[in-house]
Amino acid sequence: MTTLDTPTFAPRPSLLKRTMQRKTMVIGIAVLAVFVLAGALAPWITPFSPSRLSVANRLLAPSGVHWFGTDDFGRDVFTRVVYSARTSLFVGFAVVVFSALVGVTLGLLAGFFRRLDPPISRLLDAMMSFPDILLAISLVAALGPTLVNVIVALGIVYAPRLARIVRASTLVIRELPYVEAARAIGVSTPHIMVMHVLRNITSPILVQGTFIFASAILAEAGLSFLGVGVSPDVPTWGTMISLGRQYMDQAWWIMLFPGLAVVIAVLSLQLVGDGLRDLLDPRFSKDL
Amino acid sequence: MVGYVLNRLIGMIIVMFIVATVVFVIVRVTPGDPAAVMLGPDATAADIAALREQLGLNRPMLIQYVAFLEQVARGDLGRSIFLDQTVLSALAQRAEPTFFLTVFAMLIACAIALPVGIMAAWKRGTWTDQLVTAVAMLSASIPSFWLGLLFIQFFSVRMGWFPTSGYGGPGESFAGRMQHLVLPAVTLGIISSALITRFTRTSMIEVLSSDYIRTARAKGVGHMKVLLQHALKNALIPILTVIGLTAAVLISGAVVTETVFGLPGVGNLVVSAVLRRDYPVIQGALLIVAGLYVLLNFIIDMLYLVVDPRVRF
Amino acid sequence: MKPRYHSLLAAALIALPLFSVSATAEPKRGGIINVATVGEPPTLDPMVSTADLVGIVSQHIFETLYTFGKDWAITPLLAEALPDISPDGKVYTIKLRSGIPFHDGGTMTSRDVVASLKRWTENASRGKQTATNIAAIDAVDDLTVKITLKEAYAPLLALLAFNNSAAIILEADNQAVPLAKVVGTGPYALKERKADQYIQLTRFDGYKSRAGEADFYGGARKQYLDEIRFVPVPDPNTRVEGAVAGQFAYIDSLPVESFERLKGGKSTPSVLKSFGWPVFVMNTKEGILSKLEVRQAVQAALDPNDMLLAAFGSKDFYEVDGALYPKGFIWHTEAGTKLYNQANPDKAKALLEKAGYKGEPLVILTSRQYEFHYKMAQVAKAYFEQAGFKVDMQVVDWATLTQRRADPKLWSIYITHSPFLPEPALSSYMSDASPGWWSTPAKHAAIGPFNTAVNAAERVKLFAKVQEAVYAEAPLYKVGNFNALYAQAPNLKGVEPAPWPFFWNASLD
Repeated sequence: MTTLDTPTFAPRPSLLKRTMQRKTMVIGIAVLAVFVLAGALAPWITPFSPSRLSVANRLLAPSGVHWFGTDDFGRDVFTRVVYSARTSLFVGFAVVVFSALVGVTLGLLAGFFRRLDPPISRLLDAMMSFPDILLAISLVAALGPTLVNVIVALGIVYAPRLARIVRASTLVIRELPYVEAARAIGVSTPHIMVMHVLRNITSPILVQGTFIFASAILAEAGLSFLGVGVSPDVPTWGTMISLGRQYMDQAWWIMLFPGLAVVIAVLSLQLVGDGLRDLLDPRFSKDL
Repeated sequence: MVGYVLNRLIGMIIVMFIVATVVFVIVRVTPGDPAAVMLGPDATAADIAALREQLGLNRPMLIQYVAFLEQVARGDLGRSIFLDQTVLSALAQRAEPTFFLTVFAMLIACAIALPVGIMAAWKRGTWTDQLVTAVAMLSASIPSFWLGLLFIQFFSVRMGWFPTSGYGGPGESFAGRMQHLVLPAVTLGIISSALITRFTRTSMIEVLSSDYIRTARAKGVGHMKVLLQHALKNALIPILTVIGLTAAVLISGAVVTETVFGLPGVGNLVVSAVLRRDYPVIQGALLIVAGLYVLLNFIIDMLYLVVDPRVRF
Repeated sequence: MKPRYHSLLAAALIALPLFSVSATAEPKRGGIINVATVGEPPTLDPMVSTADLVGIVSQHIFETLYTFGKDWAITPLLAEALPDISPDGKVYTIKLRSGIPFHDGGTMTSRDVVASLKRWTENASRGKQTATNIAAIDAVDDLTVKITLKEAYAPLLALLAFNNSAAIILEADNQAVPLAKVVGTGPYALKERKADQYIQLTRFDGYKSRAGEADFYGGARKQYLDEIRFVPVPDPNTRVEGAVAGQFAYIDSLPVESFERLKGGKSTPSVLKSFGWPVFVMNTKEGILSKLEVRQAVQAALDPNDMLLAAFGSKDFYEVDGALYPKGFIWHTEAGTKLYNQANPDKAKALLEKAGYKGEPLVILTSRQYEFHYKMAQVAKAYFEQAGFKVDMQVVDWATLTQRRADPKLWSIYITHSPFLPEPALSSYMSDASPGWWSTPAKHAAIGPFNTAVNAAERVKLFAKVQEAVYAEAPLYKVGNFNALYAQAPNLKGVEPAPWPFFWNASLD
């Protein structure tokens, strides 16, 4: 339920400089970069395969060879954490992209066309009235437990948040003198949308997108834990934790390391999101 | 004004209609079959088909949909396929643990968040502020089930201070039941404190940097007095709003927490209903939970209307 | 017919002294126990459900005409004695015990029994399969019932004794489906059911126990405990934690790998040897596995050692054994088992080539309802790929699996397990209609005589032919034998190790 008083236009100089001043944000970006690189370069980082079974080597404690130990199938936990960075970060990122596509489209339509506003707004209200995780559980159960479906389900869950922000911004921007002027001189509506509105709502979308990214990683882990997430043979941090639970006592490393990976990745994303929010538009700091 | 309220009411009904439709569609496209679950692994296809017929699952979708809406409009959520009771009574039975879990988690969250958030705002920009913000973020980064599992491992299994799961047997005293809620409430409270901390900090900063506070400080009013009497009072309304909304979010968090701790709450009911495809229960529970959220929002809006005459309508 | 049961009964009687040795003093009467089960039973009517969990809980409330004694010998429960069977094996005359009260005060007569058996033939999966062979069920007098078959059917008594899809005896006026009143003749009666929280059973004071000694599920049923509460704890790890912390008197179905951890806890873990067998059921009806060579390739490709090790962790908890019944069961035979434990991907490759396999996906349907199913699937996948199969592994929840396996178009292999059932005819592969749809002349040639033979020793011999057919036609892949793990409080006494644990005769110190 946020209304915006005035949007920001003025491009701010020396963005990079101000970014560098925010130490926590820099740390967050650095950590994320390490995760992304590790995921991308996984085959060169570790000599082991994430999926090759070696039952004879099961449940080995962390050692010089297996830094994070091995799991119940004898797979190297470090290798799996690194490979899981790929899938987990991909899930998070894809959820952001998907929810942004859906959310921005709905938000723009609702904000620009008065007739479309009531039905879209009611739909958004309805979707937002479901508790996130319950909606995600039901959607994944309905669609089937695959990677793509988990992304779609979480995308649907988070899209209304973005749509609301975009709609609110659009409503304000639409009434601004220069947009009205553009309309008056005959610039077509889609053009106005893309050129003016979209450009002006990039910051809030970016900020919100970062938080959605973080939520999506947590939600994926939660779904896997409840046994309704990605199929367990796809390595993600969530499936690793969920499979390691059984060995919490005798092989704590199976569950500990992917868990730490989740905490660190989500924390970094939040640091970045927080930094972005302060950096791009202090007014949005109200929007949690 | 009346027009606005009426408008909101109609909007609410439309929203609930959409909610009901969404719920129905989700549930019906879900693969899996309650009849097969009920009849067990050695049931034959013919038996399952017969039970489906009996449960009314073989009727055309549209007819099931209309029947469902009709039922909901009458305030009837149907009967559970598995539990041998109506959905409403199943929900009522599960309300207690969820309610107290939410309340306790909320209290714990506030007990952590309010002082910490106010302190951070007061010491804005210092290392205290940064530390508080970082810790708040850290707690929001921990998967709740992970924290819950660590707690169970340490406090229940190792130390034996709390039961590992459940909500007590028949005739368990109220105090005994509440003891089962300690660990889950702490888990959930810690995790949801982050949001309130950050919100408290932001609102306090906003108020503290407003003119009248600056004036008060310039006049030499004592720090504590400014902080608690002037600033907090003004920051309280937005903080209360976020607390109210967090309560709604908590229901979501409670789903996972209830599962970890084996609490027979509403969240747990939905998860097990999804796993065994108890359609009426999934539908009913989602409807009620979503309905509560819509109602809560409506009440908050109405309160704003009363409190703040500037609200546009 | 008769001699067989007498000899088994004699065997059971011989075993009796063993029981009395352990029972030095009369156990204490009184006490309440909490039993952690694997979940909330989908219903309390064991007639309509074949789920083990339903059987475990409901066997305390309802009783059948017969049940199983020591070494799975069939022994009477509500029936006075084993039936008189006509020489042609077609007419069973069953004498009932007199003055058996129901929980709500009624007394059992042949009217209740006939109505219940009819309900069984109309609503129970196993009853319906039997129904086609039943000519009539009549009351001869108040305490005698007669079942007339169209042709001899040896498994009948085992079916009447079994506790899932069970032929329980209900009152004649309580025959509705779904069951209206949870009222039986058992030693414990339902007091309260709070779904997902507990099922509370209390001692039925009017219970009329059989005289004599306890004999596994049969014989005398003592009611030492005041109350039994079944508490659903669906998560296996939570059950382990509850066991370590000593929260329950009895904890069913624990992951075997938690054994070491449990030993340090407050409950005493015990292993139930040769509890059951994990099985890969193959779809013989449609898809790639409808070809015998491809099924044989599956048989050749797999290494049970690795699958069992990944699934159960230590040799203490499993046995690499291809026989459909392990040693100790009268049904044990090694016939045909040389095709087990081949682990020969090259042979599998050759078979696939011969079958003209062109990389169609082998769909493995499994769930994580039981973690070991998933683990075996994971290992099997590696072996299948080595043999040249293209594998599509679908990990779904149990509800989806039970639905999908009914459609032959959707899967090639699904993974399940079963306890070793007292009578082979109870196994699902025996029925042509069960998913997998194994139905060939060779099968019928083996199973037909097995079902109609009346002589016990002859049936044992005929079962070897059945097992041979199973290996020759590969409608399923038996992975091995596995042990079950359960735990109990040190002060809980008198619980017999059993696949479906029961708590009459149990007591607290």
